[in-house]
Amino acid sequence: MIIIDKLAYSSKLRYKNPAVKAAFAIGNLLICVGARSFIVSMIIFSVMAGLTVLSSKISITRYIKLMGIPFGFMVLSTVAIVVNITDKPMDLVSFPVGGKYLAVSWHSLTEGARLVAVAVASVSCLYFLTLTTAMLDILAVLRRLRCPRIMIELMMLIYRYIFVILDMAGAITTSQNCRLGNRNFITELRSIGQMLAVLLIRSLKKTSLLYEAMESRCYNGEIKVLNEYYPVELRDAAGVAIFLSLMLVIALLL
Amino acid sequence: MNEQMIKDDHHIILKLEGVCYTYEDGTEALKGVNLDIRRGEKLAVMGPNGSGKSTLFLALNGIRRPTGGLVLFNGVPVDYSRKGLLDLRKQIGVVFQDPDNQLFSASVTQEISFGVLNLGMPEEKARARVEKVIEDLNITPFRDKPTHFLSGGQKKRVAIADILVMDPEIILFDEPAAALDPKHARMIEEIIDQLNERGITVIVSTHDVNRALIWADRIALMDEGVIVSVGTPDEIFSDDEVLARTNLEKPTVLKIFDTLCEAGITDRNGSIPHTAEDLEKILKR
Repeated sequence: MIIIDKLAYSSKLRYKNPAVKAAFAIGNLLICVGARSFIVSMIIFSVMAGLTVLSSKISITRYIKLMGIPFGFMVLSTVAIVVNITDKPMDLVSFPVGGKYLAVSWHSLTEGARLVAVAVASVSCLYFLTLTTAMLDILAVLRRLRCPRIMIELMMLIYRYIFVILDMAGAITTSQNCRLGNRNFITELRSIGQMLAVLLIRSLKKTSLLYEAMESRCYNGEIKVLNEYYPVELRDAAGVAIFLSLMLVIALLL
Repeated sequence: MNEQMIKDDHHIILKLEGVCYTYEDGTEALKGVNLDIRRGEKLAVMGPNGSGKSTLFLALNGIRRPTGGLVLFNGVPVDYSRKGLLDLRKQIGVVFQDPDNQLFSASVTQEISFGVLNLGMPEEKARARVEKVIEDLNITPFRDKPTHFLSGGQKKRVAIADILVMDPEIILFDEPAAALDPKHARMIEEIIDQLNERGITVIVSTHDVNRALIWADRIALMDEGVIVSVGTPDEIFSDDEVLARTNLEKPTVLKIFDTLCEAGITDRNGSIPHTAEDLEKILKR
């Protein structure tokens, strides 16, 4: 999570208009899910992965590792679709189990592969957005889309305090480990429990301190801030539009 | 009111008359604080932990409404209505000790713009002000970094910018050098001095006696919720009794100076040294 955040800030595409990037990612995601086509998915995946790796300081191995996280879930859920429990053996592989067969057909296998492709491509679209766009720029897009103010303010505060609370948690854990709080499994469990309890208390304390600090700056119920604005570059917008139309045409033709 | 009194009153920007504050759990944090704060001065507030310094600061900008006594800003008792408090907090800014309790946004620009937009300033004007403060406090090199990747000193500068952008008359600094390395502490001290030169009244809480001796126009010593003594650094640090009561050490320079006086090398007739350089001059005479 922190690595993704760091990469987003150092991406070459960071200062591109976030709405254009979001349109590119979400547009492709919709086409990908709508078309459910192996070829379209593969094209979108290659473009997204290529752009992400080239624009960010992310190595290909790290990108593959990041993709690996959701990939595990995808494979597990696809197994249920690929492998059938049938009365009769099927055309590719069949294992007799009891009176039935655990069987895979060509059809179910291609269906499974297609699903994985669509899922991988969809994830690559979202990774493109998260790895090139800072969280606050995504919030700026949501604000433009008239997302409720309370949600955006909450996301903004949560995003900021994730890091503050992670720091606190890290410091507490380190101090516990210095006193052998991780000596064995039982002590470790106890340490984690105590750490979480302390974290809750400190977070509550921090909440009231933060509120006082905000009140000191004339806070009156609405978080008003200036947003960074990155101008839309015509070239990027045109590129996105052309690519999306192209994908749409391919999806319709297939 | 005669003319002399009006004139005197004009020098006093904030006046506390018997200010008391008791927390909901019954802790009496302030037990009748009397203090005059002069326009444009550098005031250091010193005292042991738990002596009420932080509560005092929050009482000054109306976050803690005194349970007794009066706070007068420019001679007028503070109006605790919503509107009155907004006006007060526009004029009295607080830079909190831990920037992580103050910075609520991951973006430096967003963070700094918060206060100034709360004053109801139009966006264009607010943006210009934010840009000016970013430049003044040398925030430009890290303005595009998210706040969670900033160093302690950088966060502190953003925390000061937060307040400065609102153009207050008084800024309260709660232990500004706490947790900073000497270089960054020096940098923050320089910023505070620059603000004071611009005419902003600066109140700093600190435990650093050596720094207070050099820096402050006046020092207010707090203990157990009251101000025990107020005076120039020379007055405060020559009063061994209040120093002992508030657990403060005498500044190193003054300790050496005392020893030199006792040994007959110099006497107390000249000016009292504040810095190591002052001592050197005395010795070379």
